[in-house]
Amino acid sequence: MDELELLKKDWKKETNKFPKLSYDDIYKMILKKSSSIVKWIFILSLLEFIFWSVLSFALKDNESIKKFNNYDADYAIIPLTIISYLVLGYFFFVFYKNYKSISVTDSTKSLMEKILKTRRTVKHYVAFNLIFSIVAVVIALFIEFEQDQDLINLVNTAAANGKSLQFYTTFTITVITVLVITILVLLLFYWLIYGLLLRRLNKNYTELKKLDL
Amino acid sequence: MSQSLEHSFVEQLETNQNIVHKVCRLYTNNQDAHNDLFQEITIQLWKAFPKFRGDSKFSTWMYRVALNTAITLYRKKKRRIKTQEFDSIEFKIKAVEYDDTEEQQLKLLYNAVQELNDIEKALVFLYLEDKNYKEISETMGISEVNARVKMNRIKTKLKTILNP
Repeated sequence: MDELELLKKDWKKETNKFPKLSYDDIYKMILKKSSSIVKWIFILSLLEFIFWSVLSFALKDNESIKKFNNYDADYAIIPLTIISYLVLGYFFFVFYKNYKSISVTDSTKSLMEKILKTRRTVKHYVAFNLIFSIVAVVIALFIEFEQDQDLINLVNTAAANGKSLQFYTTFTITVITVLVITILVLLLFYWLIYGLLLRRLNKNYTELKKLDL
Repeated sequence: MSQSLEHSFVEQLETNQNIVHKVCRLYTNNQDAHNDLFQEITIQLWKAFPKFRGDSKFSTWMYRVALNTAITLYRKKKRRIKTQEFDSIEFKIKAVEYDDTEEQQLKLLYNAVQELNDIEKALVFLYLEDKNYKEISETMGISEVNARVKMNRIKTKLKTILNP
């Protein structure tokens, strides 16, 4: 006999082997809170949106940023600020729309796709922020070189000593190293959190996709 | 949500609770995890209940939500223990009318199913619940042909696990 047919025969008798939950047992369960991965993704995504928005506010109080505000840099700061808010608004809207479309009554494959899509929106937002931060740092440095008297003095001293190249090289390497380390730390953090949270989902989604190849 | 909705839901789930128990039995291997998954499935069913229109049977609707929760939404609290615990008191396979050989074979079969991956388990579950390939393919979101092909592969895989 086919193995599964044998199993099916027994499976039907399984019914009596489970503890029977009462009306009250089930009623108590519906009052409890879910701990599904969708809920976790929602919480983590909200935290990410908050983190990146608060970060720019927090930096406004920073001494060096205050100094920066005294420069003639509105031509760069205003467009950058507008862009960052527009992008935040756009991503949050797409994220919320995707999140709302997640339905447990969809087919397994479609449910997985929607969860991954929601997660991808936040991932794109983070990627945008990283690129945006790099661009902002580069623009800020150009403005500093143009308008920060201390820095201009340093450049002039280096030029007078014939060490211009050395100065710029050290400066560039330092900036790149700091950026790379920051990005690596962030990526590690993401890899740990989402890697663990979505490992099983990704594995199962790959398995399902393989079936339809 | 209104009390009558709650009442209607709890009553229907109480009657059909075995579907959830069976999903939990396939996807967990100890009583704590079983209870934990049962609870999450119940919460997900309850959350989705207001949109349940009744154009399919409550039990049919339950299969999808229960499987989706087990495969996709459920976040295990503890690391799943690899060793099989299918012989625990609650799940003991009773051999009332089977001879020893059949009982032994069943035990091995349950253990073999436990070794399948999450997607394969879902297909086996629906198959054991007498669902046809159309329903299986709709629940999983794959084509009917592929569901059939996969099911045959699972049968072969089970044979290999049983007779290495």
